[in-house]
Amino acid sequence: MTIKTYVRSTLLGALIALALAGFMLHARIHLITENPAFTVPFIAGILSVVAVPVLFWFKKTLSYGYVLNGFLCIIGTVTMAHYAIARWDAPTSPPDIVFKSMVIDILIVWGKFLVGKALFDLESFGYDPERPKAGLTYRYPNMGWWLIHLAAVSTVYTLGNLLWSRS
Amino acid sequence: MNRFKWFTRNWWILHAVAVPFFFWLGHAVRF
Repeated sequence: MTIKTYVRSTLLGALIALALAGFMLHARIHLITENPAFTVPFIAGILSVVAVPVLFWFKKTLSYGYVLNGFLCIIGTVTMAHYAIARWDAPTSPPDIVFKSMVIDILIVWGKFLVGKALFDLESFGYDPERPKAGLTYRYPNMGWWLIHLAAVSTVYTLGNLLWSRS
Repeated sequence: MNRFKWFTRNWWILHAVAVPFFFWLGHAVRF
């Protein structure tokens, strides 16, 4: 086994562990029978556990895995922030704001994103320690591109929530 | 990677699908 295969397996293991943890946590807390919206973490969880690792494993589909993983994290961030806002029950102190909001859960999902990003970067750009980081921040596959997409998805999602009301 | 190039060339098709999808998702998800 080469170091490359070893590191790749380690990162994939981390990715699957985080995905499974998220899937099982949602399955325990948010029962689909309570709210149809809870199908979102169910479908996202299945995609995270099954599709994302398979796509990440093959060089040909690596980019798809990276994009899918990133967008699942964006959907997770937006929906969990929405959940926190919708169920906001009068926090009384700064620690309360941190613990009652979904900040902790959102940080975990970004941990999962960053594991995927490390895997993608190592696979795409190699393991050369001398190689300089290239590319514009706001262009794919860099972090600025993801932040733009996080902002864009948040905006479109919010507009859909506010403008397209249920009768 | 070759097939992924199709997506980068035709990014607007992805946006034409993704923007209405996220708009609908915002509408559909109620807590």
